[in-house]
Amino acid sequence: MDRSNPEPLTCEGVEVRFGSLRAVDGANLAVAAGEIVALLGRSGSGKTTLLRAIAGFERATAGEIRIGGRLVESPSTSIPAHRRSVGLVFQEYALFPNQTVEANIAYGLGRGAAARVEELIRTGQLEGLAGRYPHQLSGGQQQRVALLRSLAPRPRVLLLDEPFSNLDAGLRLAMREDVAAILRAESMTAVLVTHDRADAMAIADRIAVMEAGKVIEFATPRDLYFRPANWAAAGYGGEAQFLSATASGGTAETPLGIVTLANSFEGRCQVLVRPEWIMPAPGVAVRVSARRFEGAHSRLTLAAPDGTPIAMTIASTAPQAFEDHFCVTVRQAVPAYPPAG
Amino acid sequence: MVARVFRPRSRTAPAAIWLPGLLVVAATFIPAWYLAKRSTERGWDPWARALENSAAPLMVRSLTLALVVACASVLVAVPAAWLTTRAALPGRRLWAVLMAAPLAIPSYIMAMTVVDFLGPRGTLQGWLEPLGVERLPEIYGFWGSAFTLTAASFPYVYLVLRAAFATADVSEEEASRSLGVGPLRTFFRVVVPGLVPAIAAGVLLVVLYTLSDFGAVSTLNYDTFTRSIFVEYQTSFDRTGAAVLGAMLAMVAAAILAAELTVRGRMGRRASRRQSLMRPVPLGRWKWPAAGFLALIALLSLGLPLGVLGYWLLKGIQADANFPEIGLAARHSVAMAAGGAILTVLLALPVAILAARYTSPFGTVMEQAAYLTHALPGVVVALALVFFGISYARDLYQTTWMLLLAYVILFLPNALSALRASLLRQPRRLEDAGASLGRSPLRVLASVTIPLARPGMASAGLLVFLTVMKELPATLLLSPPGYETLPGLVWSRSTDALYAGAALPALVLVGLAAIPVALLSWRGDLGSLES
Amino acid sequence: MKLSRLLLFAAVAAIPLLAVACGGDDDDDSAGGDAATATTAPATATATAKPSGSITVYSGRGESLVKPLFEQFTKDTGIAVKVKYGDTAELAALIAEEGSKSPADVFFAQDAGALGALKATGAFEELPASITNLVAATYRAGDNSWVGVSGRARVIVYNPDLVTAEKLPNSVKDLTAETWKGKVGWAPTNASFQAFVTGLRQLEGEDGAKAWLEGMVKNDVKSYKDNKAIVSAVAAGEIQLGLVNHYYLYGFLKDQGEGFKARNHYTAAGDPGSLVNLAGAGILKDAPNKSAARAFVQYLLGEPAQKYFSEQTFEYPLADGVAADSRLKPLAELQPPDLDLSDLQDLQGTLSLLRSTGVLK
Repeated sequence: MDRSNPEPLTCEGVEVRFGSLRAVDGANLAVAAGEIVALLGRSGSGKTTLLRAIAGFERATAGEIRIGGRLVESPSTSIPAHRRSVGLVFQEYALFPNQTVEANIAYGLGRGAAARVEELIRTGQLEGLAGRYPHQLSGGQQQRVALLRSLAPRPRVLLLDEPFSNLDAGLRLAMREDVAAILRAESMTAVLVTHDRADAMAIADRIAVMEAGKVIEFATPRDLYFRPANWAAAGYGGEAQFLSATASGGTAETPLGIVTLANSFEGRCQVLVRPEWIMPAPGVAVRVSARRFEGAHSRLTLAAPDGTPIAMTIASTAPQAFEDHFCVTVRQAVPAYPPAG
Repeated sequence: MVARVFRPRSRTAPAAIWLPGLLVVAATFIPAWYLAKRSTERGWDPWARALENSAAPLMVRSLTLALVVACASVLVAVPAAWLTTRAALPGRRLWAVLMAAPLAIPSYIMAMTVVDFLGPRGTLQGWLEPLGVERLPEIYGFWGSAFTLTAASFPYVYLVLRAAFATADVSEEEASRSLGVGPLRTFFRVVVPGLVPAIAAGVLLVVLYTLSDFGAVSTLNYDTFTRSIFVEYQTSFDRTGAAVLGAMLAMVAAAILAAELTVRGRMGRRASRRQSLMRPVPLGRWKWPAAGFLALIALLSLGLPLGVLGYWLLKGIQADANFPEIGLAARHSVAMAAGGAILTVLLALPVAILAARYTSPFGTVMEQAAYLTHALPGVVVALALVFFGISYARDLYQTTWMLLLAYVILFLPNALSALRASLLRQPRRLEDAGASLGRSPLRVLASVTIPLARPGMASAGLLVFLTVMKELPATLLLSPPGYETLPGLVWSRSTDALYAGAALPALVLVGLAAIPVALLSWRGDLGSLES
Repeated sequence: MKLSRLLLFAAVAAIPLLAVACGGDDDDDSAGGDAATATTAPATATATAKPSGSITVYSGRGESLVKPLFEQFTKDTGIAVKVKYGDTAELAALIAEEGSKSPADVFFAQDAGALGALKATGAFEELPASITNLVAATYRAGDNSWVGVSGRARVIVYNPDLVTAEKLPNSVKDLTAETWKGKVGWAPTNASFQAFVTGLRQLEGEDGAKAWLEGMVKNDVKSYKDNKAIVSAVAAGEIQLGLVNHYYLYGFLKDQGEGFKARNHYTAAGDPGSLVNLAGAGILKDAPNKSAARAFVQYLLGEPAQKYFSEQTFEYPLADGVAADSRLKPLAELQPPDLDLSDLQDLQGTLSLLRSTGVLK
């Protein structure tokens, strides 16, 4: 693997058009070596199409895709999928039903690769299942075989298409850990497509948020959560609630009192206050107008002193979860954005 | 998920696929090329003459017959397919095989036995004589031909429909039922609309079959367009005139294919999401009428021909008739059928891959060209190959290889539909996975696509085996001198009015042809016929 | 999965079988070595070296009939015969399509029309006198390009239970009378019938033939697939009379005994209904082995072969000096209408006429 090149994968102004529809519309992305990047977006945002263009299954109508510095896709160039050194893990795994676990993993390897296959089977904790056929495996096992199969030829970049969407909730958490562990054990540069924020946060070093065929934010999970670059991206890091405010000198005046700003801003603005950032503490007195119990947390609708309705999430074990009047404050530094419209 | 719906494949197929594909399709153009050449060698006069000589009314007669046979086939096949896939009917599997079994009986044998049994003063009339029945209504002509061709070709629709019933998404029906719609209304509002593409595919096969049929209409004395082609050869020894009529038939067939393509395009292809696990529908007091319906169909399409053949054989044995030696002919027929099946499937494979995997107008054209041959009478295709063989492949001419080439050209569509269906059932992402693992498209084909298509290849092979077994006109004209086959024996004995002598090879032929039918119904994937 | 493997195996196992089948017919290359004889004049050819090798015959006559005869020929002469059986018209089309490269040496046709059509394309070579001398001029081509081998007369077959001998018509022209409405059968697609209509056109003119055909259609004539179907229908009482060739009856009598309810009736001398047609043979101009082909045609006209046709098919032997079956009206007594059989090739007009009168739809 070429470790000297800092950018195993770059996309510049990539466009994929289906007739008049621009599924990917000028997407930019630069992935560093060994990094795990999540492409996060809703259905139709173009994330899967971008992934398939990187893999070599869709043609780019504009822009450039480079892998390890080599141009693989542009309107005038298209290296076939099998010569790109890009692995792809399919949503439905796409295991070859006529081949055993061992044969599936060995598929992309030349002869005499038994040691590598064995090593991968150990990494994936699939010992004893090598001779089974895909339909004899559980969903999680199939997922791991698909991942190991793609890792086997040591591609420069591994792409994963919605890797956890076919798994139920319990298995999903375990598989996130497994996949992350296996990718890091192999020091693999990976891009995974997901519509699930929690998946992206848990596994990715950086998250690229896609909307309408464009990458609208490319940041670490922490930044996406605490200080998203723009209004539109804020919703992808968590539940977004904006309060009208007036900023001045590093603080802002909001319906919940004075808050610290995470970025510098002056004048009228909107600040992002996620419901869980509001804490019961001496500050502004509020009244609870509605309450919903959700297990570990409860969700309250507060009326600020000026009457503004505000959502708040609170641990159900906190005494305030069941009170109608208490005081709240926002301790978190919040990001400010220009007012809407 | 727009990207998943239209996914244009701009990538081109590897040369190792499109080159043989192109060659095979070029071979299927031999009949069309021959017709174009022959029909225009004397200018447009023969065309004008053909039109004067009532070519148009004859075409109307042919199309009317084809339409009636297609409708009758659908009317028989829909209940038969539903009863044998969805209903709680005793002996369902046996019925399923019986409904497919008439495929083993060539139309000329069907027609011979129909005339013998249902003729105005045939065997049935003899049975009814004590009841005062002097003669039965005329079997010759339109209705007799329609009856015979329906009996011989409804299994094509039945099989396609069976596959459609077996793979249809039951959740749609369940949804309809859960919304308070009764089973009968669900059937007509949800199930039947879903069957339209399958019915269209089956009807196409029946229409082409009827248009090209000569054996049944000549025995039953009904003038059709195809029969007029034979009359042209027979009475005027006029190749040009016959070629003109053949070219006209090909044009009509092309129009029908274009229409079918439009219907298919509008309907789209319904991919099945899960296998039918629905509880069989209890029939209640309809159980016996349903069984009676199936029994009647089996009796007419299977019992009648086999009974008559058996009766002839018995009479022949009693009369110590001169039976032909059939060992060698049977071996020849089996060898040709097996060889034709292997060769056709191997050659159909690249075309099927192109059609199923590389969406381009080229692939569609290739496929439609292969179907065109289906509408042409065997003798036209055979003469085209005679001309081709004698002019360009002298070494192959009058060898069994030439005959095999004829079978490939005649039956490529049968193999193609079975193969394409099996390729379309394979998720394409398996091939994408192969490519993403660094394998070239050819190696992906060899290691993933083709191994997975093996059941489809087996079905296609069995299907071709079956049809080669029954084929008569090309076999007669193209086989090397002295090369006896079972259809040849049936033909020569029956033209010499030696019915006992014809019965033995006919029964052996039907018996051998029944083997692939049984295997296919047993495998349950006869439906891969679906085009 | 298992089954598909099995099938694959079976398919592969069939390949050697196939190879055997394909290899079995490569031994005809020797036939090409006969070019020297081919260039000699036809009249002198039979006098030279004894013919040998093998010949290919395209036979429009049925296999069950002629195969024993051909085998006997091989036994007697050592000349191997490879035969392609088929419908006479289709074989004629095949020869025309094959052109000069046809592997056929001899075309043995069921009727004179096919021979006449091929003669018109120049496919045949002139037969030597040693062959043509055997047959009366009436029963061979004017230019000696083909020769008749056996003859068949057009007759009216009747059911003796339904029609008494005195009521039988003397001419086919009587069949349009009200008496026979719905009681007569014919086979419009049959070549012999069409040859008869061609003869009718020549004898009665286009208008006369047309009037007769229309009269028959108006008189509710029944159409059948072929002559055998007509004879069966007559015996079964479906119809009372049928327009057929003379010999089908004797096949039925042999199979089903004298109780079979059909007999032949010859119409009056010179009536179009008493036309005589024939089966015959020609040697192709580009025949690979002409000397053997001549020996073959000569054999067909020899006494054993002529007797064989007479006994097996009840056709008239056409070689001089061989007598027909004793139950038949002798060939010499037949008084066919005055027609050149070679002219019967012109069937295009017949076809148009049959179509325009609605006999053929």
